[in-house]
Amino acid sequence: MSTSKVVKYVGRTTDFKGKTLWEIVGCLKNFGVGRIIVRSVFERYPEPSFMKIVKVETCPDEERRRVRVWVEKTFRGRKLDKLTEIYRTSYKPDYKLIPKHEEAKLFAAVKEEHYFPDVILPRTIEMPPLMKKFIVKDHEKKGMEILNEYIMPLSYNHSPNRVQRIAKEGEKPTIQFTMGLGKPASPALYEGVPLN
Amino acid sequence: MISRNSILKRTWPMLLQCAEAHRKPRWLPVAKSKIYRIPKRPVVSEEERIELLRINNNYKTQMRAIRRFYHEEMIKERSTLESASSEMSQRLEAEEWERCVQLNDKWNAQVAAEREERRKKEFEKMEEYALARIEAKDKELKEKIAQASERIRRQKELSTTFITPETLDEAIDHALANPTDYNFAIDLEGQQYLGRDIPIPSKEQKRKAAENN
Repeated sequence: MSTSKVVKYVGRTTDFKGKTLWEIVGCLKNFGVGRIIVRSVFERYPEPSFMKIVKVETCPDEERRRVRVWVEKTFRGRKLDKLTEIYRTSYKPDYKLIPKHEEAKLFAAVKEEHYFPDVILPRTIEMPPLMKKFIVKDHEKKGMEILNEYIMPLSYNHSPNRVQRIAKEGEKPTIQFTMGLGKPASPALYEGVPLN
Repeated sequence: MISRNSILKRTWPMLLQCAEAHRKPRWLPVAKSKIYRIPKRPVVSEEERIELLRINNNYKTQMRAIRRFYHEEMIKERSTLESASSEMSQRLEAEEWERCVQLNDKWNAQVAAEREERRKKEFEKMEEYALARIEAKDKELKEKIAQASERIRRQKELSTTFITPETLDEAIDHALANPTDYNFAIDLEGQQYLGRDIPIPSKEQKRKAAENN
């Protein structure tokens, strides 16, 4: 019986591409401190995203082996101020090690001005039509004064990775959210459907 | 949650045998025969993906805004309620309390009067009952004494026939003079033959006696 070298994977496919963090870090000298790693999921953005390993702490070998790593993170061409801890996601087979001779190229790409559009997100949004009517009725019932503009504040999830800025008080946002369908991203899907 | 599907799954097998009537419970692992059955990955075109992403993002933003609005409104309402209760309605509450106390006192007085009356009646009844019982007890006692005295009288009467030391010799003599024999025999017809010395008639004698009679 001859053993063939070809590995055939059986099971569902995944979007991940690469190795787990432990597979990378465990094979490197000094656990790869100072080396650059990349998550291939973030390679979908035009701007470079990479992480520089600063500190590594090993963890016990479990079914999905994790490792605690602190990194200096550059996300979409912007370096974050604080160190980021990677632990919960370290088991994902989605990390790539950048060879030393390619690091310079990656750094060079960052130095260019990041070229994603400077979007300012709005602070408020108009109410949906039924809610407007409901609120008018409610205010009448309680004998409160009727509002003259039907807007409500928007809230956003806060993440250090946020690229788009939220408008400050009195600032004019560059985009506006509405309660309607909005402008379709791919109009081909709406062929023959009247949009208003 | 009971989905339409699950209801169908439960009721269908009663009506007709369905291939999918029995399913693996959710918590069991993949069946051995299904290990290599790999579901095909859904293919979503790029256009559709972008559009769906946009629509879903919009929806989430809108819903977040609505939820936040109502959450803030709830908090505002609660705070106004609390402030109202702390200042303005405190006086109202005190008045209400005063009113409640008065009403309570009135009710208490009413109940006390009723209770007093009831207690009096109960006491009377109890007294009556006790008196009746004492009387009954007295009567019983008297009856008992009468019965006892009757018995004593009878015993005294009987005592004249008792054997005393003075009459002992006489009694002995009398007994010796009249000996009594308590032995007896019995035949099949139940006739008693007192004494030891009485001869027992044979069957034939009996028959003859019967014929003569």
